[in-house]
Amino acid sequence: MKPRTLKYFFKEALKSMKRNGLMTLASISTVALSLFMLGVFLCGVINLNNMASSLENQVQLSIYLKDGLTTDQIMAVGKQIKAIPNLKKLEFVNKEQAMKEFKARLGDQQQLVNALGDVNPLPNSYVLTFDNPSDVKATAKLATTFQGVESTHYGQDIVEELFRITQVIRIGGIVLIAFLAAATLFIISNTIRLTVFARRKEIAIMKYVGATNGFIRWPFLIEGMLLGLVGAIIAVLCVGEFYHFITMEVSESLAFFPLVPMFPFFYDVAIYILVGGIIVGAIGSTISLKQYMKV
Amino acid sequence: MIEFKNVSKVYDNGSVALDDVCLTINDGEFVLICGHSGAGKSTLFKLLTHEVVPDTGTVIVDDFDVTRMKRSKIPKLRRKLGVVFQDFRLLPNKTVSENIAFALEVIEEKPKVIKEKVSHVLELVGLTDKANDLPEDLSGGEQQRVAIARAIVNRPSVLIADEPTGNLDPDTSKGIVDLFKHINNFGTTVIMVTHNMDLVSYLNKRVIRLKDGRVQSDNMRGAEINEA
Repeated sequence: MKPRTLKYFFKEALKSMKRNGLMTLASISTVALSLFMLGVFLCGVINLNNMASSLENQVQLSIYLKDGLTTDQIMAVGKQIKAIPNLKKLEFVNKEQAMKEFKARLGDQQQLVNALGDVNPLPNSYVLTFDNPSDVKATAKLATTFQGVESTHYGQDIVEELFRITQVIRIGGIVLIAFLAAATLFIISNTIRLTVFARRKEIAIMKYVGATNGFIRWPFLIEGMLLGLVGAIIAVLCVGEFYHFITMEVSESLAFFPLVPMFPFFYDVAIYILVGGIIVGAIGSTISLKQYMKV
Repeated sequence: MIEFKNVSKVYDNGSVALDDVCLTINDGEFVLICGHSGAGKSTLFKLLTHEVVPDTGTVIVDDFDVTRMKRSKIPKLRRKLGVVFQDFRLLPNKTVSENIAFALEVIEEKPKVIKEKVSHVLELVGLTDKANDLPEDLSGGEQQRVAIARAIVNRPSVLIADEPTGNLDPDTSKGIVDLFKHINNFGTTVIMVTHNMDLVSYLNKRVIRLKDGRVQSDNMRGAEINEA
């Protein structure tokens, strides 16, 4: 494409944005609003995901061994466990260690344990973490079949509830984002339709004198992309300001609630919003051109 | 050369626009197409520009088979044709010279060439001194001259005009057809749709008369025809 032609396309796109000023303003603000909601939502989802996966990664499977096993027998169980796929970490906790951890957890009330005297009722155990924590349940079931295993424990209900919630959040997020994208598409395509209508005489003449389809369409495509881009820039600024405010507030009053730090994570969000805005603009105008500009 | 070979067109609503039309128009000819409303004149016009595709038959414009061409070739066909309408179709927010230049800008002609061609064609239609006026400041005849200038500025081999004098008074109409004759003298084929019989006899050129979608008569001398 010649630079002169490109300049012409941009000139025409800007001219028509100016000419339909009110409509341009309306569509930029709707795009900005939709993308702002999308951005806020994206931040929320990313944070929830982050939280969920950090909780998921904390899910451990404890495999308790029967008392009185020989070292060889204990090693044999370890070998079987090592063969389990997707294993991230495997740790052996012996009786003494377990007691030490238990005491540490009791803190001030350690004297309660002293009542046991020299008897240590805690078993030897293996503690497992996984690459994909949803494998926990099956692995627990499998481990009970191993020789020398007394029982398994992994906080079953909590883990399953957690998985369910993160799943719902992810699916809900995708649905909401799809809905917002559709609304934005509708608004942009409507604006471009008005532009096409306003310029229908010019378009007719362009066709008669032999302008190519591409030449006729580009200014509208550029206009749509500019609407999307300007809306997206506004949205990025607002989302940035919003997230900054939230992180400040939360770190002050809800310190236990770990938010993902704004940078570098926000660069990703900004790029998603900007690219999203441009793509939505381009698709929106393409829909209009297909419908209203038969060549 | 333009050829219609056994061309028929029936619109979706069932009305027969053209019925087995065969015509040949040679390069450099000046041809008038006459007929009452609904005789098929406009369809003939639209077949040349590929706005309408025939149901059967073939339409040839120079080396283009209009009926079987790819969509991507349509702009090339239209650059060979200059079109003029009854209602001028000028852009009201552009000056006379901008209106003419527009036809070249949108086919990506160089600015220098555009300037040359526009000033040349303005001289040809006699509107050099109105180059910077807006269409609303011009008379109907002048507006049609601008439209003609726009149609020929890219030097098409064929100029087609659909009732170009329909909105003009008789004297102005004569001025417009004189301009067509002038353009025809440079070798451009001119096809003009009209139902003004005064102009037909004034011009005294080949006249093709359509009736109910068929060629009713094809006379080489318009002056010999009596209004039927």
